[in-house]
Amino acid sequence: MFKPLTLQSYLGVLALVAVALLLPLFVTDSYVLHLLILSIIFAMFASAWNLVTGFAGLKTFGHHAFFGIGAYASALIGINLGLSPWLTIWIAALIAALAGLFIGTPILRIRSMPHVAIVTLAFAEIVRITISNLKGITRGELGLWGIPAFEGFSLPLVGEVVFNQSVKVWYYYLALFLLLISMGLVALMMRSKVGLAVVAMRDGEDAAESLGINLARYKLLVFGVSAFLVGLAGGFYAHYVGILTPMAAVGPDLIILVIAMVLVGGLGTLSGPIVGAFVLTFLGESLRVLDDYRLLIYGGLIILSIMFMPRGLATIGTLFRRRPADVRAD
Amino acid sequence: MSIFIEQIINGIIIGSMYALIGSGIALIYGTMRVLNLAHGEFYMLGGYIVFFLVVTYAVPAYLAIPIAILAIFLLGLLVQRLTIAYLLPREEWAFATIAATLGLSIFLQNLALLLFGEQFQSIPYYLSGVVEIAGLRLPQQRLLMLVVAIVTIAIMTFVLAKTRFGWALRATSQDKDAAAVVGIPAARIYTLTFGIAAALGCVAAAMLAPIYAVNPWMGLPVLFKGFVVVILGGLGSFPGAIVGGILLGIVEAVGVQVTSSEWRDVIAFGLMILVIWVRPWGLFGKPQ
Amino acid sequence: MLEVEGLDVFYGDFQVLWGVSLTVGAGEVVAILGPNGSGKSTVLKAIMGLTPAKRGRITFEGNDLRRVPTHGMVDLGISMVLERRRLFGAMSVQENVLLGAYRCRDAAEIRRRREWVESLFPIIGERRNQEAGRLSGGEQQMVAIARSLMSKPRLLLMDEPFLGLAPRIVQQIGEIIRKVHGEGISVVFNEQNVQLSFGLSDRGYLLEGGRVVLSGTGEDMLSSDVVRRVYLGG
Repeated sequence: MFKPLTLQSYLGVLALVAVALLLPLFVTDSYVLHLLILSIIFAMFASAWNLVTGFAGLKTFGHHAFFGIGAYASALIGINLGLSPWLTIWIAALIAALAGLFIGTPILRIRSMPHVAIVTLAFAEIVRITISNLKGITRGELGLWGIPAFEGFSLPLVGEVVFNQSVKVWYYYLALFLLLISMGLVALMMRSKVGLAVVAMRDGEDAAESLGINLARYKLLVFGVSAFLVGLAGGFYAHYVGILTPMAAVGPDLIILVIAMVLVGGLGTLSGPIVGAFVLTFLGESLRVLDDYRLLIYGGLIILSIMFMPRGLATIGTLFRRRPADVRAD
Repeated sequence: MSIFIEQIINGIIIGSMYALIGSGIALIYGTMRVLNLAHGEFYMLGGYIVFFLVVTYAVPAYLAIPIAILAIFLLGLLVQRLTIAYLLPREEWAFATIAATLGLSIFLQNLALLLFGEQFQSIPYYLSGVVEIAGLRLPQQRLLMLVVAIVTIAIMTFVLAKTRFGWALRATSQDKDAAAVVGIPAARIYTLTFGIAAALGCVAAAMLAPIYAVNPWMGLPVLFKGFVVVILGGLGSFPGAIVGGILLGIVEAVGVQVTSSEWRDVIAFGLMILVIWVRPWGLFGKPQ
Repeated sequence: MLEVEGLDVFYGDFQVLWGVSLTVGAGEVVAILGPNGSGKSTVLKAIMGLTPAKRGRITFEGNDLRRVPTHGMVDLGISMVLERRRLFGAMSVQENVLLGAYRCRDAAEIRRRREWVESLFPIIGERRNQEAGRLSGGEQQMVAIARSLMSKPRLLLMDEPFLGLAPRIVQQIGEIIRKVHGEGISVVFNEQNVQLSFGLSDRGYLLEGGRVVLSGTGEDMLSSDVVRRVYLGG
């Protein structure tokens, strides 16, 4: 899976980044920019979930907990301590990572996939209910507002960089920057010794253990990094939308959406979660007219992609190109 | 003091409903090793069928409930055949089935939202009287719940222990290949088990619907309760789920007395994570 | 009775059987021999449909077995004792034995069969209500054979019936195979030990690396150099 990067794939990635950077020159519509920003937030979330579930083979269903923790932590620190979002999103990501290590430690002792699924789901529910119940701090279901926005600054050559809802272009670039950092981290991890070990343990724990790999520590590391990235996405989300509710920031709908994205895009691939995030976000919005059907369609997409497209969109091309070795006339 | 005892008794009664939910999850996991995230949706749809029969069409409850149970049983068969049965032969079946049932859960939930709307529907109590036993006042409706739960569990216990199907189910869950060799068609047993589990959920829905309202989202909290139950009792164990259900009911009742009702679910999940941490095979099972 | 021709079996991309052919006649006892990992068990599992065959023909009295699901085999008269017994450990001895007659719905017939296997294995009657998982290895093997016989098979496949058993028990199981054969049932079993196998069987097939390298009667095979080469690597 992790062949050395060829010149071609480097150029491909560079071209994509260039397109992404130039996109705001052509897309000036604030609504489309908003969708692009949402897609990027979800791409970060989905890539991080894919890191543990697709690559490490640790099937968790509670990653929305870290999104909510990141979002609320960044917002609350900003509101109560008056710190800048530029700082708080990183603090929040660290808090999410700590929460990840906290819940990851017991999970990693469990080998049974259903137990992991149940514990992670329940953990996220605990986080959601707690945020919802601590009304004195979070204002509960009423929603937390008054979240500070990113402060603007001026750049030589570029001019004023401002973050507000009417000028979204700089939010777009910031989101893109965070996504690139995330993807860089994911790609780096997967190509490192840790990544190789992690894939080895997905493909056979015993085999990996016999190689003398300290599974627990690597798994925990992957889990922590993943929680960090989801928390970062959550923090950015908080300062971008400016208002948080427990259902929007830690609701089970979030993880369902992310799972749908990863499954549609391709579980266990680098590009799959990003493809899935963009496809589903834009698909969801084009169905805005059919708003009531959106979750229905996501549910259906999860079922259909699992049943008929287990490798996802990202690899559907290779599926057609590769000729299975064992197709022969009997 | 008597209020405290009443709360405990209520806990046991609600717990018997958790037991019905949990035993369905346990049966499915015990036979085909599938974690059914859509289990709550069969409960939800069961609630709606009872609601429409009893409220909209004025069918007497003693007829409406069996009809609903049968309908959900058949729906369970259909859903298993169309999705789970198709995924089980896959190499990646464990994750594929969890993900597919998750998708199914969202799909059914939102289908219900679309078809039945978002208003909360209520069903009148089947029995309205109150019974006084030793100074304790118990609504007849609650006693009915307990009776229905006991009868259902007794029937299931009999089916598992004494019938040809029950033997086949237990044999398949212990060793699929050995069961196939003696002529037990595992695929059919799986489908039937799934239908029965869904029907058990419907029994709980029929009894709980008059207390909680019927709505498209009612399945999810119940699914979580069911998970706690099967973790307490040992995932896949039918008797474990019964004991786990009652236990959860009591713990919640006591916990809510000590804290407040909005922390009920946190207590349940906390207990569950504690059990997984200390005894992952459940409170009553044996380590494998 | 049973004919296997050109059987190829894969585990994933890895081929474990290469064009295996063998026949079993009515009333015959046939041994499948070979060292560990030679594919002996796979042959039996493929016949039973527990492991899918990629290519080849498997017929039993004219029925194409590759079209029959595993749970349909008992209806044709084929039964199998799985490797390591594989009893339903949490169920009683009686329940295990009765499950062997799962496809039979005639209570009187089931009783007749039960009396028959109890006459072959008195231990079944004695340990009726004991949990099967608590029996000793030899006792479990007897219950497993009894369970297979409850379907009144005409062909009994036995996967490693002697594996992990004490020499005294091996003797007993050997006696039982003779008894089963005495009831007119054809038996195919696999075993590593050539001497032991030929005491019990009419003919044998020797497997090496998933291929049949030698077949014939016990005397033929024991005098062959191939056996020595396969087992001693000489």
